Amino acid sequence: MVKFIAEYQVLIFALVKILIMLGFFLNLAPVLVFVERRQAALIQDRVGPNRAVVKVPGFLLKGALATPALLAGVAVAALCFKFFPANPPETGVGRGFWMAELATLVLWSHALVLAGYVRVSGDAANPLEAALRDMRDPRWIFYTGGFLHLALGVLYGASSPANEAEVSKAFALGGPAALAGVLLLVAAYLGYRIPSGTVELRAAGLLHSIADALKFAFKEDFVPPKADKLLHSLGPLISLFPALVTYAIIPFGDALCFGTTNGALDVTKLAETASTVGACAEGQQAVSLQIADLNIGVLYLFAMGGTGIIGAALAGWSSDNKWSLLGGLRAASQMVSYEVAMGLSLVGAFMVYGTPRLGEMVRWQAENTWGIFVQPLAFFLFFAAAIAEQKRTPFDAPEGESEIIAGYFVEYSSFKFAMFYTGEYIELVTSSALLVTIFLGGWTMPFLHRDAVHVAFGDTVLLHSQMSHLVATLLGVGIFFGKVLSMSFFQIFLRWTLPRFRYDQIMAFGWKFMLPAVIANIVLTGLLVLGASSAGPSVASGLRLAADATGFIVIGASAFLAVKFARLLLSPVERARFTSSGVAARVGRVGRTPETPMQA
Amino acid sequence: MEPLDQDLDESELELPAEPMQLKMGPAHPAMHGTVRMMLEVSGETIVKCDVQVGYLHRAFEKMCERGTWGQVFPYVDRLNYVSPMLNNNAFAMAVEKMLGIKPTERCEYYRVVLGELARICDHLTCNGAMAMELGAFTPFLWFIKARDMVWDIFEEETGARLTHSFGRIGGMAKPPTKRFKEHVRAAVAGVLALVKEGEALLLSNRIFIDRLDGVGVMTPELASAYGWTGPCLRSTGVAYDVRKAHPYSVYDRFDFDVPVGTTGDNYDRFMVRLEELRQSARIVAQALEQMPDDGPVMVEDARVTLPPKDEVYKTIEGTIQHFKIVMEGVKVPAGECYSYTEAGNGELGFYLVSDGSGTPYRVRIRPPCFIITSALHHLIEGGMIADIVPTFGSMNMIGGECDH
Repeated sequence: MVKFIAEYQVLIFALVKILIMLGFFLNLAPVLVFVERRQAALIQDRVGPNRAVVKVPGFLLKGALATPALLAGVAVAALCFKFFPANPPETGVGRGFWMAELATLVLWSHALVLAGYVRVSGDAANPLEAALRDMRDPRWIFYTGGFLHLALGVLYGASSPANEAEVSKAFALGGPAALAGVLLLVAAYLGYRIPSGTVELRAAGLLHSIADALKFAFKEDFVPPKADKLLHSLGPLISLFPALVTYAIIPFGDALCFGTTNGALDVTKLAETASTVGACAEGQQAVSLQIADLNIGVLYLFAMGGTGIIGAALAGWSSDNKWSLLGGLRAASQMVSYEVAMGLSLVGAFMVYGTPRLGEMVRWQAENTWGIFVQPLAFFLFFAAAIAEQKRTPFDAPEGESEIIAGYFVEYSSFKFAMFYTGEYIELVTSSALLVTIFLGGWTMPFLHRDAVHVAFGDTVLLHSQMSHLVATLLGVGIFFGKVLSMSFFQIFLRWTLPRFRYDQIMAFGWKFMLPAVIANIVLTGLLVLGASSAGPSVASGLRLAADATGFIVIGASAFLAVKFARLLLSPVERARFTSSGVAARVGRVGRTPETPMQA
Repeated sequence: MEPLDQDLDESELELPAEPMQLKMGPAHPAMHGTVRMMLEVSGETIVKCDVQVGYLHRAFEKMCERGTWGQVFPYVDRLNYVSPMLNNNAFAMAVEKMLGIKPTERCEYYRVVLGELARICDHLTCNGAMAMELGAFTPFLWFIKARDMVWDIFEEETGARLTHSFGRIGGMAKPPTKRFKEHVRAAVAGVLALVKEGEALLLSNRIFIDRLDGVGVMTPELASAYGWTGPCLRSTGVAYDVRKAHPYSVYDRFDFDVPVGTTGDNYDRFMVRLEELRQSARIVAQALEQMPDDGPVMVEDARVTLPPKDEVYKTIEGTIQHFKIVMEGVKVPAGECYSYTEAGNGELGFYLVSDGSGTPYRVRIRPPCFIITSALHHLIEGGMIADIVPTFGSMNMIGGECDH
């Protein structure tokens, strides 16, 4: 077995990486579909489509939800009792602190979920739940959680030399104990609260998009009688293909370093700490978390993305429908035009990063600053061009449902339509991932280094906490997927708010504005890069400080946005109650629309 | 066989190109399900456009001739179904004109308030739907949310959210509810706040402005020649509003402005509707101030007013009066009249002919949409396919009214 793994490990690693990415992208597509539908449901005070139900026996659900929490709690408790006495205080404090923070996070987030549940269902099983149900604004749970996080940080950071020993001891003991306690509490509460009978699992409506996808597979596949059968079937295939293959070059995490046995990589020897220079230390081998680390890098993306045009054009032409012909023409001309701007908008980034490889771009950003700060114009230009390439609002003239009905895929039904649809959403995720990788720091966050959390401005160190290699890498993967998710949500918000361009306006915008702008960006970047590289060390150290400052900007802005978003999500649903009878007043009294059997 | 290359000069040897025939509608999403446009397009440019209406024809005028005068109200609800209250008022006024009766003071104000609320609904729907058809869904949701607040008022007052059938010959079906003024004030304030939000999203958006500005231009001369009225006419710069030009009901007692546009393009139509909505809010506020708090909303006239139920059950006069009005209808004196009011889309006229019986001899409607739609091709020809959407959207063509 070991021999087999050793022999085929490159292949196995590739397969695992493909599965991770495919899983992420294919899961995100239904989530995004759900988000879109949720927007439509906003006005009706409902959570969006949530009719799809899986009936699960209560004990299975209990097992599936409570067991991981139970096991994690037991594991933390065991670890803490086994290792605590021998733990040296220096690392013990750091770990204890993060565990205390994690315990706080788990506590308030679960309290929020519970509050959300009892506020919607209305049945409280105990006085605590009744209190959660009747509280006026559930956002207070969120605020309290945030306050606790800050308080812990202050407590940890502000320990004076006199009482440092006590504080560190308290954290080293209290942190793991708190985390274990909270996890066990969550497990126990889940066991107590999930009913024993059959439970209708709706997963907040997420199952609905999956049910819809299944439905597509069973619908009649209608092909217009005079359509070109072969090309008509080929259209969606060619459309979906580039969407699925482009994510091969997107790195979703930092390289993992393994030790070697007899010069070959050994999966059992994962490095303890990562080296801070280069990918891996001497004598170690790196496994980059990227399906294919091509040396042409982002050029592969343009090559593959370009083939999507053919799919749309073929679909439009072969459908034997004047509307889809118009749509196909629009799609072809628009995508060809914006391909130019999209490619050129990244030339500036190549010059700054000095490489077309995405992994190295991220490393450059980790060492210096996020790409959006060195290439702000290119960020917006690339963003616009990427939206145009995906044919989404405001550039959705090729499908413009109110103008040419659905454009090039008007004659598609069943799974062929689903392929276009999925392709569009996967492209959305891909483009978000690209934006994140090239301009928003990929898997990195400011102050999060490969070996430690290290907050510093110039030479002043504000916070330093060691991390193991595995934790740092996993954190990076989580950060990358989180960023992609936020970026995708942002794109959906855009789609719902912006009206669409007219066809000739799209062309004018592409050729008369985007193209000159990207060329100007190239010239400007060239001059600046030349200037910065030939300037003296004082300029270099100034730039260094500026880069550190951007780190604080990023952290501040993301915290601000996260709080804003949480406030929005958690705002209590309350309809204006200015009439004394009628539906609005009933809704005001009950707090939600009356339920009917037909309600979706 | 004649030789193919006979009489052909160089230029004609290119590929033959002729305009593509495109049938847009009636099932096309931008056509609201009720219109068909036969387009001749050259590329994306429209060479020729033929607007064909009639897909929602329900023989409204003929249907009116089979019931009593009072039974026409449910039909007029379904003319411009976005602002049914204005149609109710218009028809009630027309019959009252023939009967020579004047509604009570309180009823006049009640009609004005409900009518102006309906106008707000109308403009909200039109502007919101236009933005939605251009792809901006969020502003549409906000406008519709605002409309829902007004509908809550209508539900409170009339019991129905959409088709109220609330008008009666000689007054209104019910007096205002106790907290009517309070509710309306709260709702209008809420509506204006929502409109401000939605408007900010659209008017600060360059894409939206680019789609509307200079598209679908109408000249004041041509508009007047076709007989356009309402917001569409005012957008060309002609300040004709029936409420100002020929004040009816109690409109002469209010202080309000008639917004006009300058170029008559889509942007002007959008802005005129937005401003009219605010003027309607002004009228509502003034009307609520002046409206008496008590008094009847039906005239005390045994010919047209149903007696109280108590009298119907206990007195023979009441029973007979009730029977005559319900079974035979209100006896309208023989003659004819044309009564016109400012509805959501412009001048809504009713030309009524009575033969002295309780049934209308002829009900002819002058729907503002029909006349506006008849000039639609002028606005579309020469533009692009995508321009049809905002242009047609800003016309606010309502099938129920147009296909009378």
